[in-house]
Amino acid sequence: MLEVTGKMVWKGAKAGLDTTWELAKVVVPTAIVVAIFRASGLLDTITALFAPYMGFFGLSGQTAIVLFSGYFINLYAAAGSILALSLPVQEIAITSVMLGLCHSLLVELPVSQKAGSPLGYIFLIRLGCSLAMGWLLGVVLP
Amino acid sequence: MSVLWEGLLQGMRGVGTIALVVIPLMITLEIAESNGWLQKLNRVVSKPFRTIGLSEEGAFPVVVAMVFGLTFGSGVIINHVRRGQVSRKEARVTGTFMALAHALIEDTLIFWALGAPFLLLLAPRLLVAYAMAYIVHKLTPAES
Repeated sequence: MLEVTGKMVWKGAKAGLDTTWELAKVVVPTAIVVAIFRASGLLDTITALFAPYMGFFGLSGQTAIVLFSGYFINLYAAAGSILALSLPVQEIAITSVMLGLCHSLLVELPVSQKAGSPLGYIFLIRLGCSLAMGWLLGVVLP
Repeated sequence: MSVLWEGLLQGMRGVGTIALVVIPLMITLEIAESNGWLQKLNRVVSKPFRTIGLSEEGAFPVVVAMVFGLTFGSGVIINHVRRGQVSRKEARVTGTFMALAHALIEDTLIFWALGAPFLLLLAPRLLVAYAMAYIVHKLTPAES
C-alpha cells in the first residue's frame, strides 16, 4: 500500500531545500532591515504612527511592520520581521492568522485574476477577512 | 556593525528552525503524492464542498491549492475552465476559497515554528474561506 522509494525522499528533500533557500533569501535580509530600522529609531516613528490603529487588533504599534511586509511582500518577509522584533506569542498568533488570510498581494492578486476572479473583489475579500479576524482575535484572546 | 550581526543571526536562526520543519514535511508530502493520497483526500473532502456548490472536479483545484499553493490550484482551475469541466460559477467559488485558504501546510508550519498555536493558524482560515465561499455560492445566480 505504502511505497517509499529513495527517489521520492530525494525529490521531497530537494523541494524542502529549495523552499528553505527561497525563504532564507527573504527572511535574512528582512530581519537585517528591521534590525536597522529598530537601531536607527525609524521603527519608533512607524510604531508611534500606527500604534492607535494596531490597538484595534490587540497589537502593539511595531507589528505594523509585520503586517505591511506580509501583505505586500510575502509571509517569509513577515517571518523575518517577527524574528527581528521578538514579539510576544500572542501578537505572533494574531498577526499570523491575519496574514494567513491576506498576504503576498502583489504576486497573488494577479494569480487569482488569472484563475478568473476580479482583482478588486479578491483584494477586498482577503483584506476584509484579515482585518475582521484580527479584530475578533484581539477581542477574544486573553 | 553589531546591529547588522544581530539581524543576520536572528534571521539565520529563524531559517534554521523553519528548515527543520519544512524539509521533513516536503519529503512526507512527496511520498503522499506518489502514493495517490491526494485523490483519496479529494474524495474525503468532496462532501463538505458539495454544500458550497462544488462537484468533485470543482473541489480538486481547491485541494491542490490547499496542499501545494495558490499558483498550482489556479493552474488546475484555468485548465478545468478551458476544458469546460467546471462552470464559471464554480470557478468563482473555488477562486474565493483558495484565495483565502491555500498552501495551508507550508504557511501554517512557518508560523508554527515561530510560536503561533497550530490550530489557531488552521481553523479560522478554513472557516473563513468556507463561509465566504458559501456566501458567494448562495449569492451567485446559476448560469443559463
